[in-house]
Amino acid sequence: MHTRNLIACALVLASLLVSACATRVEVEGNFPPALTHKLPLRTIVVFDEAFASHSFESTEGPEVSISVGQIQVELFTGLADSLFQYSSTTTEMPTNPEADLILVPSVEDVQISMPNESQLKVFEVWIKYNLQVFEATGEPVADWIMTAYGKTPTRFLKSDTDALQQASMVAMRDAGARFIPGFARVPEIQQWLRHRQTSPADAKDSASL
Amino acid sequence: MKHLAAITTLTLLLALSACTTTTVDEYRENATALALESGERVVVLGRRHYADYETEPDFIDCIGDKLKADKEISVLPEKEFVDLLYPWFEPRTAPLGLKRLSKMLNEPMIAQRFKEQGLHYMIWIDGSTETTDRGGSVSCAVGPGGGGCFGFATWEKTGTYEAIIWDLQTLKESGRVKVEARGSSYMVAIILPIPIVAQVQDQACDGIGLQLRTFFIGNRAGEAS
Repeated sequence: MHTRNLIACALVLASLLVSACATRVEVEGNFPPALTHKLPLRTIVVFDEAFASHSFESTEGPEVSISVGQIQVELFTGLADSLFQYSSTTTEMPTNPEADLILVPSVEDVQISMPNESQLKVFEVWIKYNLQVFEATGEPVADWIMTAYGKTPTRFLKSDTDALQQASMVAMRDAGARFIPGFARVPEIQQWLRHRQTSPADAKDSASL
Repeated sequence: MKHLAAITTLTLLLALSACTTTTVDEYRENATALALESGERVVVLGRRHYADYETEPDFIDCIGDKLKADKEISVLPEKEFVDLLYPWFEPRTAPLGLKRLSKMLNEPMIAQRFKEQGLHYMIWIDGSTETTDRGGSVSCAVGPGGGGCFGFATWEKTGTYEAIIWDLQTLKESGRVKVEARGSSYMVAIILPIPIVAQVQDQACDGIGLQLRTFFIGNRAGEAS
């Protein structure tokens, strides 16, 4: 009985020590509204469960976990509000909605680099998004691969958690710096917008916004 | 108690004796002071687009503080400016040259935001402070009877920064200031470790900040300091 208690205590202590070494970051912050012209479009942004609760975990080397789900929902909601005349969000793909475009962002990949791996004095975060754009009918318009990057020099911050939080926030802001100037320049979207301008029915819709 | 006071005084004296050398170079387009009307402001921004370093935000704040020390120059804080202009001054989008800035200001929405903030000059700071050399070692040990450290360590830091002033009305460069500050720090450990730290970044900030002030308020800046 005594030995069992000892083993239990040792296991608890070991798990506590292991968890103490892990870095867990729940990225938090806020973003300023983007300074941009609004496109005369009605959009719906679909945040599915996988996107809204996305978490990146790395077990190579020291254990690191970064939860970006909530913050990226806030980021894309704000970006869509700034860029489009009218924008709303939902959690499931709508059928025949009253909108011009449906945007479905998803995370393709997240990579991090810590100073002990790269030998550089910076923490780095890369996020690869795939922004799928559909017409209201469900017809695909574009698949836009958008990468975001953020870094923080080690000496700016006191802990790995703080550094990764800040590097993730820089990466999120960078995603905005890609999205706002880049959206209307994606060739497929550019073509769709041009086609829409020449289509009398769509032009009438835009005028009523 | 007396011993503690003596150790504190010794530490302070040693800390003061850690020396830093600062070299400041400047280039001016004109000998006259830069015009800054009442209500007009200056913004100081750090370069953050390089892969291996970025200009420290606290260094930018320090220069801002030096510029507005006598309240003659009004400075818009970097964070506020970057948020107001989001996403046009992020590392990916910030203009690296006046040609790009001029193109950016052709966009009425951005030009309007500059005007609302009364911005007349933009100062870009590029550089960082790095540890360039280190030597020696200090080791510490703790035992049942107590603990302590023993050894000697030294490290050298170099801060190299360049400030470029852009006139937002004429869209021309008004001047440049380059500063290099070097300082050696020491750690002496005989039971207690005593650090003697050279304030390299602070010295670089003093050098560049005071020199930038002379661009706006002439030699009065130097006299006041």
